[in-house]
Amino acid sequence: MSRNNVNAAAAEEPAVKAHKTPFRVILFQSFKGWMFVLPAVLLMCLFTFYPIINAFVGAFKQNYLALNDTFDGWGFENFIRVLAGDTGTGGANFVQCLVNTMVFTFISVPVSTLLALLISVALNNIKRLQKFYQSVLFLPYLTNALAMGAVFATFFTVIGTRNNVETVGLVNNVLSIFGLAPANPGYIDWIGVRSPTWELWNLTIPWAKYIVVIVYEIWSGLPFKILILFSALQSVNKQYYDAAKVDGASKSTILWKITTPLISPMISYLLITGLMGGMKQYSAVVGLFGQDMGGDYQVGTMVGYIYQYVENGFTGYAFAGSLLLFAIIMVFTIINLRVSKKRVHY
Amino acid sequence: MKITLQNLTKIFPPRKGSADKKDVYAVNDMSFEIPSGKLVGLLGPSGCGKSTTLFMLSGLEMPTSGKILFDDQDVTDLAPEKRGIGLVFQNYALYPHMTVEKNIMFPLTNMRVPKEKAKEKALDAARLVQIEELMNRKPSELSGGQQQRVAIARALVKMPNVLLLDEPLSNLDARLRLQTREEIKRIQTETGITTVFVTHDQEEAMSICDIMVVMKSGFVQQIGEPQRIYDDPANKFVANFLGTPPINLFHGTTAGGYVLIGGEAVAESPSSAAEEPKNVVVGVRPEGFVYDPEGPFTLRTDHIEVTGRDKTVISRHDASEKPLVRSIIDADIPLPEGANELRFRLKPNKVFLFDAETEERLPL
Repeated sequence: MSRNNVNAAAAEEPAVKAHKTPFRVILFQSFKGWMFVLPAVLLMCLFTFYPIINAFVGAFKQNYLALNDTFDGWGFENFIRVLAGDTGTGGANFVQCLVNTMVFTFISVPVSTLLALLISVALNNIKRLQKFYQSVLFLPYLTNALAMGAVFATFFTVIGTRNNVETVGLVNNVLSIFGLAPANPGYIDWIGVRSPTWELWNLTIPWAKYIVVIVYEIWSGLPFKILILFSALQSVNKQYYDAAKVDGASKSTILWKITTPLISPMISYLLITGLMGGMKQYSAVVGLFGQDMGGDYQVGTMVGYIYQYVENGFTGYAFAGSLLLFAIIMVFTIINLRVSKKRVHY
Repeated sequence: MKITLQNLTKIFPPRKGSADKKDVYAVNDMSFEIPSGKLVGLLGPSGCGKSTTLFMLSGLEMPTSGKILFDDQDVTDLAPEKRGIGLVFQNYALYPHMTVEKNIMFPLTNMRVPKEKAKEKALDAARLVQIEELMNRKPSELSGGQQQRVAIARALVKMPNVLLLDEPLSNLDARLRLQTREEIKRIQTETGITTVFVTHDQEEAMSICDIMVVMKSGFVQQIGEPQRIYDDPANKFVANFLGTPPINLFHGTTAGGYVLIGGEAVAESPSSAAEEPKNVVVGVRPEGFVYDPEGPFTLRTDHIEVTGRDKTVISRHDASEKPLVRSIIDADIPLPEGANELRFRLKPNKVFLFDAETEERLPL
C-alpha cells in the first residue's frame, strides 16, 4: 500500500464515523449537559409542563369531580357551558369576566403607556431633582398590590357615618368641592353594593367600579413603564434633537415625529407585556373589592373566574376557562406583534 | 451671505466634581470675517474650538460673549431654525425611522410647505447630491457615503444662506474621502452658498478651501488662502500643522547675516546682519532641500524612501527638534550609493525663522 493511500483512508474514516454515531452515544456524550439542566427541567416539568398538559386533558373531561377523580366521558361540554354562562353552580359568569378584563386592559394599558411616555419626557427634560422624582415615581413598584388596592379603596369608598351623616372618601370629597357629586345621596358609591350600573343586553356594566379599577391600573402600571421609557430616552443620541432643532421642528413635532419613533421598540414591548399582564389581572381587583370581586364577580377578571371554579371544585370549568384565556391572549399578542412590525422601524 | 464674528468667546464651566476648577476657554476672543459665497475651512487639532465655533454659528451653542453677524443682521441670540442655516453633523444624525425622502423633506414639513411642493424640492436636492434613486430607502440601508449625501441634501433643501459641515469626511474611508471632498466643492460652487466646514485634516482643508482658518486652543492663528498660509505661516504652530510630510524644525542661530545650524551657515539672513546673534527655530519644508555635493547643510543619512514620483531622504541631525529629518528630492536626481552623509542647499522661500521663545515668525 502506498503512502498516499494510507493517508486517504485515514482522512476518510473519521468522517464516516461521525456520520454514523448512534443516538444513544450522542445522548451519553451529552450526559454532562443534561445533568446541568436537570434541576431546572424537573421543576419545569412539575410546575409548568404537567399542569399545561393536565389542563388540556382535563378541559375535555365531562362532569369531572376532583374529589374522587371521576368523569362521564370526553367532549366539549365544559367549553359550551362556560361560554353560555350555564355552569349550574351559581358561580362567576365567563362573558361578564371577559368583558370586564377587556375593558380594564384596553383602556388602562394604552392610557398608562401614554402617560408614562409624557412623564418620562418631562422627567428627561428637568435637571434639578431628577433623581428624586425618578425615585418617587418608582415607589409604587415596590409596594404590594393588595396593600395598594386596600389604600386605593379607601379613596373611593364610603367609609361610615359621623353625626348620622355618611362620611365619604377622598374622591367623593373632591367631587363635591367641584359640585360634581350627584345631589342625592350627595356622593357616588364607587365600591359598595349601591354602586351605579348600566344594563347592557343581559350584562351588568358597573361603570363606577370600572373607573376605580382602571384608575388603579393606570397608576400602578406607571412606575415600570416610566423606568423603561426613561432609560430608553436617555439612550437616544442627543444629536437627533440638535438636528431637529436646526430643521425647525416644534417641541410637539420632536416628541411625536422623532422621540416616539426612536423609542418605539420599547413602547411596543410595554404594550405587548402590558396587554398580557392586563388579561391576567387578578390581585388588584381582589385588593380593591375583596375575594368575591365586587359581589358575585361583578368586576371579576378571567383569572378570578378560573380561581373561583378551582376553589369550588369544578375544575373542568376552570380548565376550559384557562384554555380560553390562553387562546385569547395568544390571539391578541399575535395581532400586537403584527402591528408592531409595521409600526416599529429599524 | 457674509459672516462676521466679533470678539466671539465661549467659556465652558468646569465639570462638577472634577479636580480642575478652571473654566475652559473653548473659543477665545475670536474676530474674523467670512466673505459671501466662499468655502471656508476651520482647521486645527482636536480641542482647538473649531466645532464649538461651528455650533455657535449654527445657534446650537450660545456664545459667552461676542457677536455673530450674518450680513448686517445680528443673529447672536437667534434660534437655529431662524438663522437660515443648514447643518451636517459629523455622524449625519439622519432620522433612522424615516426614509431618505422623509428625511430630506423634514425641514420643509416643519416650515409647512405643501406636500407636493416639498416632494419636488426634496427631489431637486437629491439630484444635486446624486441620490435620487435612493429616496425610498431607510438610512440603515445606505453606505456611509450615501448617508453623508442625504445629510447634505437635508441641509440644502431649505435653501439655507449658510451651510455648516462638522467634520464631514471623518466617517468615510480614504477613497470615499477624496471623492466626497471634490463633491462638496462641486456642490458649493454650484449653489454658491457660503459654506463653513470643520476639519482636523490639513490636507483636506488645503485641497478644497477658498479660505482657511487655522485655530489652536481657542485662538485663531492665521486666516487666508491655503497656499498663502502654507507659503507664509504666521508662527511655528501653523508651519508645523500644515504640510505632509511636516516641516523640519531645527534649533539654530542667526548671526552676521546667516542662519547657522550646528555651526553650518545653511542660508542667508539679511535682516540679521546688523543684529546681535540670536537663538531661533529654523523651519525647512521637505521640498526645500536641493541635493548638492557642495551644499552647506550636512545631514546624516538614515535611509531613503522611494515613492516613484520622488525620493524622500530620511536623515538625522543633532539640532533637529524631531528625531528624523525628511527631505524630498526629484526621483531622477542620482544620489551616491551607501553614503553616510549627504549635503544639501536650501531654497530660500522654503526656509522660515521663528522666535525660539514666542514661536512667532521672524523675517529671514
